[in-house]
Formats: sequence, structure tokens, C-alpha cells
Amino acid sequence: MPPLEEWEKVYLKNTSFLEDAHGKVGCVICHGGDSSAGEKDDAHVGIIADPSEESCAICHSEITLLHETSLHATLSGFMSKLEARGGDLSEGSALDEAFNNHCQQCHTTCGQCHISRPDELGGGLISSHVIKATPSMQYNCVACHGARVGDEYLGNNTGIPADVHWTQETMTCARCHGQELHGTGEIASDRYSNTVSVKCEDCHADVLTDTAGNPQHEQHIGDLQCQVCHSVAYKNCYGCHVALDEEGLPCRTSEPSQLQFEIGYNPIQSADRPYKYVVLRHVPTCAGTCDYYGSNLMPDFDTVSTWKYATPHNIQLHTPQNESCNSCHGNEDLFLTEDDILAEEREANRGVIVIDIPDPQ
Amino acid sequence: MKRVSFAVVGLALLAALVLSGCAVSPGPPAGEEVSTCVTCHSDKDLLQETASVVEEEVSEATSGEG
Repeated sequence: MPPLEEWEKVYLKNTSFLEDAHGKVGCVICHGGDSSAGEKDDAHVGIIADPSEESCAICHSEITLLHETSLHATLSGFMSKLEARGGDLSEGSALDEAFNNHCQQCHTTCGQCHISRPDELGGGLISSHVIKATPSMQYNCVACHGARVGDEYLGNNTGIPADVHWTQETMTCARCHGQELHGTGEIASDRYSNTVSVKCEDCHADVLTDTAGNPQHEQHIGDLQCQVCHSVAYKNCYGCHVALDEEGLPCRTSEPSQLQFEIGYNPIQSADRPYKYVVLRHVPTCAGTCDYYGSNLMPDFDTVSTWKYATPHNIQLHTPQNESCNSCHGNEDLFLTEDDILAEEREANRGVIVIDIPDPQ
Repeated sequence: MKRVSFAVVGLALLAALVLSGCAVSPGPPAGEEVSTCVTCHSDKDLLQETASVVEEEVSEATSGEG
């Protein structure tokens, strides 16, 4: 998505937002500045480009308080995984510096979802400052979550169909991902431990209770994650390295992504996710991701698998693996085995590598 | 008598202040601040003319997907 010109970012093509409650309170109450000044520089003294939490909390404190605990605000998803690998994120540490330079920009504010494009994408008003209760899928959600989830959902990966929720119902992200985005009041270590995380059965409850006539469901409900049968190849990233360039600007490099489909053992088995087999996605991280900032900054790298529980967003009713029993049973290509894993990551993934591929029927 | 004198002098001073334009400003009427900001921010030509160019701080050394 090309960035907007500087003038476009603050251009009010239409002023219809002035008619709603947000427009009627005036600009200065949220943005500061001096509306009586005749010159641009004087008018912008003390301006707050993205007022977000402080201003939104005046009327929406019940949401902003929750938002403070959300993954979008806390970035606890990143932090928990670095800490689980032995990373020291205390203030001033080498990993803390790396985190601040490369991870912190993924923090998002009220305005970066409901009014403008995210800062990470250069910012800029989306619909002339109209405050959108439901963020734009294109300019907000996919703007940040485009490389993997967005491309899968919209069918942008060559040869891979788009998700049926998009092609058949044009469902945007917020149709499924609602409250979890604003947080729950408790800080979750990742999105799967969020207590209001979305599940397929929230809409498809009948699949669990009415399996008659569907032998695959009769046999596998509860044992297989839905995506094992109903998703197709998805993007996996490898070898991300972060650094500062010659000018001191944060930069990163990664190896080309690969479209793969890998079934493995469930690394986060729980009452909510009791499945034995799930699909796994490789995280971009490797042991040396932060080596620029110091050696061995994740000393316990091997304690967390680099193939993580995944929910690819390219759901199909019919997939190659659910055509027949033996499309999957005995088909080693579908399963994550030791040969699929980089030698230096085998130990970290010992718990998810499949060692008992189901026998052909 | 003294009190009456003070009151008369006070009123006279207040009247003088008001007449000389030194009255405390009541602030812009409701809505004025909106229109002042919006006047400029809805003027495409003015924005193109006056928008500050912000140096892009994105490293050219970045490669791969993210």
C-alpha cells in the first residue's frame, strides 16, 4: 500500500464528521493547538496529532481501560515469547533496546484503528476524519497483518484460494475479531490465551453437536483442530534478523517465505483446545534474530517451539487433505517431521514433531 | 460616604477598561475553533502548498516480508 502524500494525510475531503458527536466538540479539545491563530506555525503550537487514549477516555473510558490490557497496546505477545526464551527485557538491557527499536512500533492506538492508517504505514486520515466504529479491513487490519493473514484471507498467494468467509460472505476481520481486540482487562501472553478469543464453533456450533452423516466429523471432532481439515497451504517465515543500518535506522532482513502446510502436535493443548493434531506455522524468529545487539540474547531458545499453533485464514470446505481418509492417513508430506525442521531448531520443536503418522485406512 | 466614593471610582475604572478594549475576552463562540481548523484542512491547494515534508525514516537495508 503506497503511503499518502503529507498533505493527503491531514486533508478533509469532506466535513461530514462535523455533524456527529465527535465533530461537534471541536478540534482543540482533542488535538490542542491554537484555533485563534492566523498562521500555521502558531496554530500548531502544542498540537497533538494522535490524541487517542487520553482524549477517547473522556467519553469511552470503559473501552480505553480494557484496551490498556490488549495485545495491541501491551505487545505482551512479543514480550512473553522473548521472556520464555530467556530474554532479558529489563530497562536498558540489550534485548530491551532491540525491542524498542523493532517491536515497539507495532503498538497501536485508538486513532490508528478508528480514524487513520497506522503509524507503521505512514499514517494519514482514512475517511476525512470520520471516526469508524468498525476499522477498515484494508487500511487498518490488513495494513499491519497483511503479509500472512491478509494475503491468505484475500487469496493473494498464487495458486491458493481466498478464505470462504471472504469469497462467500465478504466478512471483514471485525465480524469475528471483536472484543478480543480491545482486551479483556487481563493481560494475555498471546492471542490464544485471550479469554475472549474467537473460535470456529462460535458460529458453527452445530458442527460439534450434529455429526450424524459426516463420518469425518464423527471420527475427528475434538481430536483435530478445524484447520487441519479445512485450511490449505499458508505462509511460513524464516530467519528474521534485526539491526540498525549505517544511518542508525532500524532495519531487518528475512529469508524468502514459503507456502507450506504442516500438521503437528498441539503445543498449547488445553480444555479449550484439546486437539492432538493442529496446523503449525513457523515463526520468523531464529536464535540469532537479535545478534546485532548482543550474543545469545535468548539463551533458552530451545525451550519454545519455532513451529507455533496456527489458524490459517484460508478456510475451505473441500481441501486436498479431506478428500478421502487416505488423503491424510499415511501421507507423510502433510505432517511436520524431523526432516522438515532446520537442524538447529530440532530440539526446540521436539514436542510438536509428529512421530506417529496415522496409518492408511 | 467613603464606601460610596470607592464604589463610584471602581465603576468608573471598569467602564474605562471596557471602553478602551481591555475587557476579558469571552473566547471564541462555540464552533468557531472547528471552522478555523477545518477551513485550512479542507483546502486542498493550501495544504499542498504548506504541508511540511517529513523525512522518511525507513531504512533501505530492510528486505523480506514482515
